[in-house]
Amino acid sequence: MKAGGRLVRALSEFAGSDVPNDELRVSGNRLLKQSVRQAPLTAAALLLLSLGGVATTVLLPGALAGAIDAVTRGGNLTHALGTLAVLIAAGATISALDGLVGAYYGSSLTASLRHRLIRRALLLGVPGQQRFPPGDLLARLTANAGAPAGFLPLLLSAASTFLIAIGALAGLTLTDWRLAVAFALGVPPAVALVRVFVAKVSEPFVRYQELLAAVVTRLFDALRGARTIRAAGTSQQEIKRILQPLPALHATGRGVWLAQGQASWRLGLLVPILQVVVLSVGGFALTRGEITAGQLVAAGSYVAMALNALTLVDALISFLGMRVGAGRVGEVFDASPAVCPPPHPLPVPPSPLRLELRQVSVHLAGRTILDRLDLVVPPATSLAIVGRSGTGKSVLVSLLGRLLDPDEGEVLLGGVAVSRIELPALRRAVTYAFERPALLGATVHDMISYGRPEASREEVVAAAVAAQADRFIRLLPEGYDTPLVRAPLSGGELQRLGLARAILMDTPVVVLDDATSSLDTATEVKVAQALDRVLTGRTSLIVAHRRATAGRADLVAWLEAGRIRALAPHCVLWSDPAYRAVFAAEEPAGSSEHSAGQAALPVGNA
Amino acid sequence: MSRRVGARLLHQHLHPQYPALLRLAGWSAVEAVPAFFSGLLVAQALDQGFLAGRPAVGFTWLAALGLLWVAGALGTRMVFPWLAATVEPLRDSLVSAVVRASLTRALREDRQTGGASVAQATVQVETVRTLVSGLLRTARQMLSTSVAAIGGLSVLAPLLAAAVVPFVVLALAGFVLLLRVLVRRYRAVLHYGEQIGVAATPVVEGMRDVVACAAEARAAQEVGAAIDTEAAALRSYARASALQGPLTAVGAQLPVLAALAAAPWLLTHQHLSVGQIAGSVIYLFGGLQPAIQTLINAGGMLTVNLGVVLTRLAEVCAERPQLPAAPPGSPPDRFDLTATGVSFAYSAHAEPLVRELSLHIPAGTHLAVVGPSGVGKSTLANLLAGLTPPQHGRLSLGGRAMDGIDETFLRRAIALIPQEAYVFAGRVRDNLVYLHPQATQAELDHAVGVVGLGETITRLGGYDAELPPGGGSLSPGERQLIALVRVYLSPAKIVILDEATCHLDPVAEARAENAFADRCGTLIVIAHRISSAMRAERILVMDGSDVAVGDHASLLAGNNLYAELVGYWDRSAAARSR
Repeated sequence: MKAGGRLVRALSEFAGSDVPNDELRVSGNRLLKQSVRQAPLTAAALLLLSLGGVATTVLLPGALAGAIDAVTRGGNLTHALGTLAVLIAAGATISALDGLVGAYYGSSLTASLRHRLIRRALLLGVPGQQRFPPGDLLARLTANAGAPAGFLPLLLSAASTFLIAIGALAGLTLTDWRLAVAFALGVPPAVALVRVFVAKVSEPFVRYQELLAAVVTRLFDALRGARTIRAAGTSQQEIKRILQPLPALHATGRGVWLAQGQASWRLGLLVPILQVVVLSVGGFALTRGEITAGQLVAAGSYVAMALNALTLVDALISFLGMRVGAGRVGEVFDASPAVCPPPHPLPVPPSPLRLELRQVSVHLAGRTILDRLDLVVPPATSLAIVGRSGTGKSVLVSLLGRLLDPDEGEVLLGGVAVSRIELPALRRAVTYAFERPALLGATVHDMISYGRPEASREEVVAAAVAAQADRFIRLLPEGYDTPLVRAPLSGGELQRLGLARAILMDTPVVVLDDATSSLDTATEVKVAQALDRVLTGRTSLIVAHRRATAGRADLVAWLEAGRIRALAPHCVLWSDPAYRAVFAAEEPAGSSEHSAGQAALPVGNA
Repeated sequence: MSRRVGARLLHQHLHPQYPALLRLAGWSAVEAVPAFFSGLLVAQALDQGFLAGRPAVGFTWLAALGLLWVAGALGTRMVFPWLAATVEPLRDSLVSAVVRASLTRALREDRQTGGASVAQATVQVETVRTLVSGLLRTARQMLSTSVAAIGGLSVLAPLLAAAVVPFVVLALAGFVLLLRVLVRRYRAVLHYGEQIGVAATPVVEGMRDVVACAAEARAAQEVGAAIDTEAAALRSYARASALQGPLTAVGAQLPVLAALAAAPWLLTHQHLSVGQIAGSVIYLFGGLQPAIQTLINAGGMLTVNLGVVLTRLAEVCAERPQLPAAPPGSPPDRFDLTATGVSFAYSAHAEPLVRELSLHIPAGTHLAVVGPSGVGKSTLANLLAGLTPPQHGRLSLGGRAMDGIDETFLRRAIALIPQEAYVFAGRVRDNLVYLHPQATQAELDHAVGVVGLGETITRLGGYDAELPPGGGSLSPGERQLIALVRVYLSPAKIVILDEATCHLDPVAEARAENAFADRCGTLIVIAHRISSAMRAERILVMDGSDVAVGDHASLLAGNNLYAELVGYWDRSAAARSR
């Protein structure tokens, strides 16, 4: 058991994969088993095909011997050749069918895993990104989801190889038991050779991977520092530095080759020597008339077939990699969503809506962001939320649309807890515009109508006009139909698209999370005037960094140390020097924020 | 066409290794010797030995075969050093080309694009190495085995060989035709596989927006469409590759059948012996069949993959831009910066980030640039540093047009520190003297002292401490301090800090900025905090593409945005704007 564990570890190092932790392994095993159970008919078909393949392969040398003997000793040659032809045709058909069925099975399994994976990721939502960051999730979706598809074919092919080896041994024994004994004597040295190979190669192999990774990391470092290198004009120096591990990589690579050569030539010696030994024993029997010339030729083939079982080591290495991939997919399936749909959903109450937060606490990455916070927003009021960076303004507003659920406390919309409202209905009642909206959809039109794909061009244009985006959109090469990849957008232009998207959603509650911060003051005034019209009669929450934005709201909630320090109109609060200080020196003069609270939560920054 | 690009790349990098390849071919021939003689010797052992009732003679022939196998194994052993001598330099050469090309491209492009994916190209080089190794190990061996088997057969039974060759040729010709289809379909598989990533990336990265729009179903459907297209491409590829099995049967197994069918006639009319029949079957069944099978199955897969990966790498390595030669002319001796009617936009259609900017910055000025995020402050920094040429207008240094100044001189005269500090693997000292390798210890100590890096140096264990790739335990602030000391030591006459102190606390930021203000030369600070502006002599306010320049007092009185950023905007102004 212990030795087996060591072998597995050595093999996984050799395969370049990490030694998986228990959870990953269990989850991987479960998913692999599921992948077989999900398609029992296909699995059965593949099993039958594999057995057919084993049968034709094992029977072929015998049929060959029969044909040779029919030729040399006289006999029914037509019959013998017929058998051989049938076996050859069957083998070719089976191998073609096996590949085809295997590929159809694999592609549909991979596709269904990917469908499940993306739906699951969407269900896990924003909190899910703390556990599965975007890059990691994409790797699981593209690379790892393909792993389980190979499992059943690998299992069957390994089983076939094993069965063929057994069949070949049986063939040898049936021909003449002394042949089997001669072969059996050669097996232990063969196995020993393979083990030596794994032990010898795994160390330089790991070193090779490390050195290769060092080149990649250095290049990645330099690419991230591209602006510095460009400004310093030091690209030649950099290229030299990145390639510094190359000589060591070269030497290690040679080492791996030489170790492989050692194992390979010894193995290359062993197979034919076993054949010569078996042929000699068979030749002796042939002299005494105990076997035929055809059987002697068949015996040589059996030896090669039986030794093929050595390739099972490759199958084991592939299996280890597969289990890691399956485990990484299974982890996403096993994660439970932080935001759950209610069992007995209630409808959204009629607008205008009053908002209320009761004793709400949020802890993120071991830090308390909101601490038993209470807040009431009267219906059809615009409320600005201000506070120093990192005080949790974005976290607070993300609770309303359940982008995030509080750890404690309740969030009420028109007197109904948001956790009891059906999720899609809630998100058609609360809409958001963000500081850096994500570029979703194919074209500019798609981006604005992403939440309402059925919206007409007129409605989209009207929303864009209100967000002061219509003018620059019309300047784009194909106007509203310009593909987003071909639309170079400044920060301010992007924000206006995000605003247009929110305006088009036409919801009773609107949240603007720093959504106008990149606009110049003149444009911001125009947007603000347009928003005044759009937001009339709605309840709105505006995360604000600029004083002008706070000044335009009916009420200001001043957030500090996880609580509301004050709730009053801007002009009332302005007399407090501490309030004025929120907008002054500490506040960034531009660009994005760099506080721990915001970095820990993907809500604030796209 | 694209396939040819990949082939050219491979040829270009494999060319210096052709002598090694030649030796590889030589040892392959040695390796194939036993495969050539196997049938001949077995036929002798049977006819003269075992079947003639003389087992000792039979054993002798088999022993000779055994000796040949030993010689063949020695050939195998000698193959490996030459494999290494072919493949390792190939990898070195490709890695160097990829690193050079991707770094050059990253430096040329203004906005940072796909850092991680470019670095992945290095991993693709490794794939090329693995595939070429596979081809040289497996396919080479199989090729030489099949040639040896056919050669041995034509010595043993020429007529049989003549009957077999057409089958092999037919199968290989069919295989070459099939390979074209396979390559095309496999490329489609890879393309649609990438499309899954393309479709999923905005959804996964914009999860917050998708969820906020209640558009989960739509997003899942859009990604799902890409998933299904890829699965269909995979099935189409599988349909084509299913033909490999029948091709193998034609090339490897039908010849055996044909040989045996012809055997009775050959036995009677051509005096073929039993041993020769058995030897022929050994060539066909033991030598040719596994070789053809491996060639068609593994060889196909390796070739297809290699073609696709090489094409991808050729794209990465393509178009190495030739930098325009520095025009003659003596460098300027003054270091005042002048912008005249400078405009810049990302494209002809986008709103300009900088419009008609005219500005004079005398040498020694301390200037701060403030404005909201996304307004183009970094673009302005690039323009002033001469890294991005403006679409309209003119920038000059010391009265000479910037695009006419020698690039090396310009890069030494103007230093720019971006927000993302660059720290590389190596000693701390190497990182610090990066721009001034001749710096003395005293200069180094002074710079570290005034900028405020001393504590970090102590923590790391001195100037000779090694930093791992990626910077290791350095905090973002410490990385910025390293970048600051590096430029402080440099001979630059103009220093541009583009939010280069954003990860420092206000006290550390003030210390670093003051150090640069006291250093000789011009200091331009793209301000992260408004306090940076208050330390400067002159302030440039960017409000959209409009700019205003002045000192603190005049801007406070005359510029709403500046007043708002500073936080001293009076209430009456707030009331007016409502």
